[in-house]
Amino acid sequence: MKYLLFLLLFLLILGVVGVASNPSPGFAALSLVMVAGSGCSLLAGQGGYFLALILFLIYLGGMLVVFAYSVAFTGSDYVEGWGTRRISLAAAGYLLLVWGGGVILSTNLNEEFWTVGAGFGEFMFLEYSLVGVAHLYMGGGWLLVAGAWALLLVLLAVLELVRGASRGAVRVV
Amino acid sequence: MSPYMLIILIFTLGLGTLITLSSSHWLIAWMGLELNTFAILPLMAQQHSPRAMEATIKYFIIQTTAATMLLFASVSNAWLSGQWEIQQMSHPTPLALITIALALKLGLAPMHAWFPEVLQGLNFSTGLILSTWQKLAPFSLLLQIPPTSSFLLITLGFISVLMGGWGGLNQTQLRKILGYSSIAHLGWMILIMQYAPPLTLLALTVYIVLTSSMFLTFLYNQATNINSLAISWTKTPMLTALTPLVLLSLGGLPPLTGFLPKWAILQELTKQGLTPVAALTALSALLSLYFYLRLSYATALTTPPNNLPATLPWRIIFKQPTTFLAVLITMSLSLLPLSPSVMAFFTF
Repeated sequence: MKYLLFLLLFLLILGVVGVASNPSPGFAALSLVMVAGSGCSLLAGQGGYFLALILFLIYLGGMLVVFAYSVAFTGSDYVEGWGTRRISLAAAGYLLLVWGGGVILSTNLNEEFWTVGAGFGEFMFLEYSLVGVAHLYMGGGWLLVAGAWALLLVLLAVLELVRGASRGAVRVV
Repeated sequence: MSPYMLIILIFTLGLGTLITLSSSHWLIAWMGLELNTFAILPLMAQQHSPRAMEATIKYFIIQTTAATMLLFASVSNAWLSGQWEIQQMSHPTPLALITIALALKLGLAPMHAWFPEVLQGLNFSTGLILSTWQKLAPFSLLLQIPPTSSFLLITLGFISVLMGGWGGLNQTQLRKILGYSSIAHLGWMILIMQYAPPLTLLALTVYIVLTSSMFLTFLYNQATNINSLAISWTKTPMLTALTPLVLLSLGGLPPLTGFLPKWAILQELTKQGLTPVAALTALSALLSLYFYLRLSYATALTTPPNNLPATLPWRIIFKQPTTFLAVLITMSLSLLPLSPSVMAFFTF
């Protein structure tokens, strides 16, 4: 179990450094998958199973996939990754930053910081995100409608902005 | 733009502001601000030119940065104090961060550089919405949060008045001039916010009336820079005669309406013992007055050389409905004698 935890934390930090240091959006999206995957597994191991599941489905499976497809349109010929010296130095710099941040923030190592739910370890009685979503649907009322309207609006705004040929804006007429 | 799309966007603009105005929870306030941001983006990109797209993208990045800072500060406040009420914020750090985030959203100096450039890429009607309607929601939040560092608010206010006046001096494009004038007026509003919030509302309302008059005037004259403004005197001579007065009202000269908020703010500042601040702010307003005077000089006080056919547009009946502009100009010129009732309107 300790080794699994260590592996997940290692992948988390590596992914975060990868997202920050990669200039190519494709590599950054790949690192993002690594970060989200390991972060969600950590979360699920600590009892936040609902949040982890929703993150996998919506964030990785919806938003990241669409992002990766749109990034694929902007493919460039000479993609720099961790192979070049400049970017590996930047990645090392970010690693140093994470280590320094960890040193500075690791003062209260004995406190419980989890805010995922009410329970202990893997036995979550009340996971807050699950209860929150239930409350939104149960007593949310017009707020639920407003939330749905916001999602619909963003879709329509994006469609209006990228509409092609005659009415679009991204393509220069 | 398709009329269905237009009505959805305008409805959402209204809905977003209404949600923020009526919220007591930080997440709901943030949701209203995000609704406003997203609803105005297609309106800004209507013109399909690279300049309009650039303005849209700049606006989007700035507003989402500010909204993210706002969210971070409200979550920090929730962690530190355990509740999400807007009016019950107790910790100074999230308070300061929220003030700065809202200042970025409004375009207060020193976070003002994006505002004139974004306005320059838009047509006048969208610029009008940006300068007036989009200011209401952040102001409602600024008015509700508990008192924060007075140094921060006075600095934001004074530097906005100074930068608004100073930056507008070298401009020939009318939308940039209106952008800098907006920054200066927002500075006056923020200056008095912690001492007399009703005066902030008064300054905001008078500013909205005045700047709407100017935007609509420039829209009707189809004038985008000072040169076009100078030769537009023949289109509607009545409007040409009134434009300098509206500009001087913007500059804050008595006996026009624009004098009322400045007068009340200076009085309140001196009552609070901030006489040096009041004096310096009044002197900085002279900078704005200079470029308003330059605009009125170009509009009505000089007649630039032109050919004969260009002096005849007034013979053609002006088809655009100007009722709203007439009401706005009347209000921007003649509300000063009604000061007591105007100020009572805003006292709460």
